[in-house]
Amino acid sequence: MEKGKRRGGSSSSGPQAVARKRDQFPSRAKDYELLEPVGDGATAVVRRARCLPLGGEVIAVKIMNMSQRSEDDVNHASEEVKMMSTIDHDNLLGAYCSFTEGETLWIIMPYMAGGSCFHLMKSSYPKGFDEKFIAFVLRETLEGLAYLHRYALVHRDVKAGNILLDQHKGVKLADFGASASLYDPMINRHGKRKTLVGTPCWMAPEVMEQKEYDAKADIWSFGITALELAHGHAPFSTQPPAKVFLLTLQHAPPSLHNTKDKKFSKSFKQMIATCLMKDPSKRPTAQHLLELPFFKKVKFEDNVLKSVLNKLPSLGDRMQSIQENEAKLQAEKKPLDKCKEKASQDEYMRGVSEWNFDIEELKAQAALYPDENDGGEDEYLRFLFELDTICESAPIHDVQSRDYSKNENEKKGRFKVTVEGAEVEKLEVATPREKELLERIASLERIDKRSNVMPTATVAKSKYNPS
Amino acid sequence: MKGLFKSKPRTPADVVRQTRELLIFLDLHSGSRGGDAKREEKMAELSKNIRELKSILYGNGESEPVTEACVQLTQEFFRENTLRLLIICLPKLNLETRKDATQVVANLQRQQVSSKIVASEYLEANKDLLDTLISGYENMDIALHYGSMLRECIRHQSIARYVLESDHMKKFFDYIQLPNFDIASDASATFKELLTRHKATVAEFLSKNYDWFFSEFNTRLLSSTNYITKRQAIKLLGDMLLDRSNSAVMMRYVSSKDNLMILMNLLRDSSKNIQIEAFHVFKLFAANKNKPTEVVNILVTNRSKLLRFFAGFKIDKEDEQFEADKEQVIKEISAL
Repeated sequence: MEKGKRRGGSSSSGPQAVARKRDQFPSRAKDYELLEPVGDGATAVVRRARCLPLGGEVIAVKIMNMSQRSEDDVNHASEEVKMMSTIDHDNLLGAYCSFTEGETLWIIMPYMAGGSCFHLMKSSYPKGFDEKFIAFVLRETLEGLAYLHRYALVHRDVKAGNILLDQHKGVKLADFGASASLYDPMINRHGKRKTLVGTPCWMAPEVMEQKEYDAKADIWSFGITALELAHGHAPFSTQPPAKVFLLTLQHAPPSLHNTKDKKFSKSFKQMIATCLMKDPSKRPTAQHLLELPFFKKVKFEDNVLKSVLNKLPSLGDRMQSIQENEAKLQAEKKPLDKCKEKASQDEYMRGVSEWNFDIEELKAQAALYPDENDGGEDEYLRFLFELDTICESAPIHDVQSRDYSKNENEKKGRFKVTVEGAEVEKLEVATPREKELLERIASLERIDKRSNVMPTATVAKSKYNPS
Repeated sequence: MKGLFKSKPRTPADVVRQTRELLIFLDLHSGSRGGDAKREEKMAELSKNIRELKSILYGNGESEPVTEACVQLTQEFFRENTLRLLIICLPKLNLETRKDATQVVANLQRQQVSSKIVASEYLEANKDLLDTLISGYENMDIALHYGSMLRECIRHQSIARYVLESDHMKKFFDYIQLPNFDIASDASATFKELLTRHKATVAEFLSKNYDWFFSEFNTRLLSSTNYITKRQAIKLLGDMLLDRSNSAVMMRYVSSKDNLMILMNLLRDSSKNIQIEAFHVFKLFAANKNKPTEVVNILVTNRSKLLRFFAGFKIDKEDEQFEADKEQVIKEISAL
């Protein structure tokens, strides 16, 4: 009902938005003609394709290779597909059908010609989008998120890379690879989960700390995504996962600041601030967010998407040019930077489903980034400047000391965070809250040393001796 | 009607009663084309009611469920045929309401009224509903909803036993291999649950139905051309045979030359995952202290090949148990 009300002028009225029924799509690989790749991840590739029996209708197919995957991963994939085939919302990317072909799993989905917001920024909007466009995209995303939350589903990987665009099909939140149902037996009796999943930069503090979390974790990620769309990258995006954890847990939440090129409205800044409350219970629900003035004022016109998507080359071409650019950049870079770039890129690609809290690996990655590293320093400091003073319960004092003009040593001491030996360097000023967090991280790492958080799939088989 | 409900808060039993009335209406007027507007209105009302049942049972995000309300709801739900109506009418509901209904039915399976699980008693008296749920795998539209309801129902031992002993068990060999991955994997999850959850019941089923069951299992699942089917089947076989409650069945399985041949072929499968799972079953043949002659003969005939194979058989991760098992197998085969 609420969908119909506002859909008149937007997505569903497009000429190509003929609703296809699931059973119209054949479940045989030979009925599809594969075209160019339009997205890839560590475990799957997404290609544009034509469905031959349906007159060559263009669709997207996600092809996952299962041969290298564990038993758990296979079960995971089947949960993802089941969820994709039982959702029915304009702002969520569902599946038409799925089937296996050899050792691969194929998921047939609507083709979103605009690609993801992440790729769009990489190819054409490196400094992020304007506020009007962001408001539209976020509002649509929020509608999808509100639907998921109504069914007690937590997406767990909200980020620009999972927001897909299409001139006719509108905005769709994709990739349920990490999502989980709060109703399933994995949860405790309070209906909250405790597994560590998410992509580090977008991960809510309570998820990092492995406290119980629920749909509010998505709201945090949504706030980070808003910053990502505004600036062209997520806060801390150049940092290795270990540092992202520490920065997120230790410091005041990131917030939106005007930049040289762009001014943002107060309502936008406030919306982000409410999403990025460290205390999940203080964050609004998706439904409540939709009531904020920032979203209420959004007009539904096709031309918001059109104006951005119209003049762009095709998705396949853009993907290729992104890859070429990256190859060129890689070639110019120093070896150390290459590693970093690769690590950060991998981290993004891996996304939630793949996230594995292997502390040794985190440390190895963190070691790639010497503290106060050479070239990255400016970038690093810029992020620190973006940190704002939105205080919740305890005031956090470290904000004032962030100043280029301050004594160099003091500044460094302030932010030097290492995970070596599960010890975090002593800070000059530490609030009780900070201390507590640092201790928590230290203990978290001790636990992780003993056992990986994400249990590996090997099921111990008892040695059974028949006699 | 709406005004009435606003003025007076309905009890959980009221919500169940009204849901039931609306379901009866929907059941009776399913085909009728006239009165479409009226039907639409009733459908909307029904969706609202089912959503309310869900929020009573699960809480609404802001408040936790209240035990007393859940008890009232459960009692009223099973006092009459609400579950039957809901299952029968499910295909007529919209997708969102189907999901709500599925979650309601799932939750009801765990609700206790004076320390008795009412749902279990109801299902025992209405076993034909399980037939309906299982046949859902033949209808793409409702397969996943019926499938998840079914998995909740077989949490009850008596209900799992009914399904195991029914002719439906044979149909699962088809459902598991349906071309649609989502439905096939749902059927496969149910199949696995049936064969692993209630140990004693499973052991009894496997002993009684040994011949046809393993014949189907070997020829259709372990020899399937579908990679995922084959992989999940060999894993399930290992889980079943390695369970102590199934030791009699396991002894029978590892005494067969035909079974051994199938497992030895799986050891040579192109997929490492399948090889490893096959090894966990193969080791039982080797470790058997009373190997029948035909099994010994095959092992002896292939001894050098097997030993060469195991010399190069490694897994990526370090696994002490695996290495110890492999050593044991090598020792057994060498000593034959």
